[in-house]
Amino acid sequence: MNRFGLPDLGVGIGLRTVHFGEILAGKPALDWFEVLSENFMDTGGRPLHVLERVVERYPVALHGVSLSIGSTDPLDRGYLRKLKALATRTRAAWVSDHLCFTGVLGRNTHDLLPLPYDSATLRHVTRRVKQVQDALERPLVLENPSTYLAYARSTMPEWEFLTALCDATGCGLLLDVNNVYVSSFNHGFDPRRYIDAIPAQRVVQVHLAGHTNLGTHIVDTHDGRAIPPVWKLYARLCARTGPVSTLFEWDAKIPPLAAVVREAAKARAFRTATAATGTDGA
Amino acid sequence: MAPELALGGLQHWLQAVIEAPGPVTRALASREAARLVRPGRTRDVVLPSKRLSADARVGVYQAMYLPRMLEALESDYPALAHFLGHAAWQRLVRAYVTAHPSRSYTLNELGRRLPEFVGRARVPRPAFCRDLARLEWAVAEVFDAAETRALAETDFAAVAPRDWERARLVPVAALRLVELDHDAGTWLDSLKHETHRHPKVVRRRSLLVVYRRNYGVMRREQTPAAFALLRDLVDGQPVGRAVARALGRRAAARLDGADAAFRLFREWAAMGLFQGVL
Repeated sequence: MNRFGLPDLGVGIGLRTVHFGEILAGKPALDWFEVLSENFMDTGGRPLHVLERVVERYPVALHGVSLSIGSTDPLDRGYLRKLKALATRTRAAWVSDHLCFTGVLGRNTHDLLPLPYDSATLRHVTRRVKQVQDALERPLVLENPSTYLAYARSTMPEWEFLTALCDATGCGLLLDVNNVYVSSFNHGFDPRRYIDAIPAQRVVQVHLAGHTNLGTHIVDTHDGRAIPPVWKLYARLCARTGPVSTLFEWDAKIPPLAAVVREAAKARAFRTATAATGTDGA
Repeated sequence: MAPELALGGLQHWLQAVIEAPGPVTRALASREAARLVRPGRTRDVVLPSKRLSADARVGVYQAMYLPRMLEALESDYPALAHFLGHAAWQRLVRAYVTAHPSRSYTLNELGRRLPEFVGRARVPRPAFCRDLARLEWAVAEVFDAAETRALAETDFAAVAPRDWERARLVPVAALRLVELDHDAGTWLDSLKHETHRHPKVVRRRSLLVVYRRNYGVMRREQTPAAFALLRDLVDGQPVGRAVARALGRRAAARLDGADAAFRLFREWAAMGLFQGVL
């Protein structure tokens, strides 16, 4: 348990359409599934049917991409109502989304766009996180995004912003270790500094994924295995947090289920090794 | 000027650049974006990295916008995308999302106005494209519609004969009636074959019921008489009035006697098109 009383679900993967058949036909060696909220909020067809079968057999957590917590547009109350209903229906262990904005002026780019990290933005996001938590009647868990630009007006690093946000709102953290690595490359900071600075007791969940290095910058493509430096950062994080719910994301060029399960098994091995030694082995 | 941008202005600027077409330098100079940050002054709001200029960093986001829209729309309109080919499809999507940017939390809503849009767009065979898009949108809607228990034949049999005259049938949520001027269904089916031998596009009236059974989307063509009767029923006409109208229509749209109506009711019940009798 972390400080929210939320359980360590173990190691899971994202529930993806291409794996529906394999998941229903067998019982893959996974502890839980992460469900993309928006994929199930407005469907009553096969996806919801499959989700209900999955929920009978595994714990799930909801993960969204459209909350747009940093936008200056009003919060979408209809979206929050549907999100809460889905969380209740699936008995979701928690609900997460990203520290970002996705659009403004009523439009939606459907991208996780970066926020400037300064005190004005912190006040704005703090207010909205509290409103969301009131609406959902549960703590919100926020993920650090991969970012490709930094604003001139930012006055603090992302980890400081997240720490202050957690302190001000009581929200949890979904720490995407791959995103830490991607952003460290793109912005030129030491990713170990990030891992060491975040409040470990706030980390509810971890994401791991692959990315694409284009030389000039790295894009968070989720289209392959995690690279060794990301695994090393994960071990470093586990040494601080202890065993924490961990999920491997694979969203593009998705291989058969067995390959994704293998990456999850690798995460399990790292967790176990870290728990045994109490260090990241670095 | 730029450093004074409030958070809302900063977000507006970044979104305006991302949504604008062309290379990032053109996007930065687009009217909506340039009103907020003067072209050439990106560094006032975005820091360069060791390897990328401020413009290029904004360009990373801008370059991902159209592919994301293409992917979302292609998942709802695979046949239309295939019919048009990559270049024409890309031009269509760019024009469409410029006219109708997403205003919903879900990308599932993005394509709602594409059938109407493509019918007026500069594409080959726009009227056929409109029909193909209308059929694909109906398929997408039926796929996601709420699951409602369909009445079985025994449920229909339980209704007293004297009650049928005034009874109204309630359609299941996963049902759409689609009227087309082209045989878009055959073209859609041809996409499933690896050979991709597509039929010639021909004008032919096509009246379709799109529905769902066991979570699979099905399609069945109806005669004009059957389609008109079904349309009345779905629109909430009492059964007696709908059948009377069906028997009184002209020529091909006229139902061939009350027995024909009975046969159709059995067929539609077997297809699971109704969830209740009021």
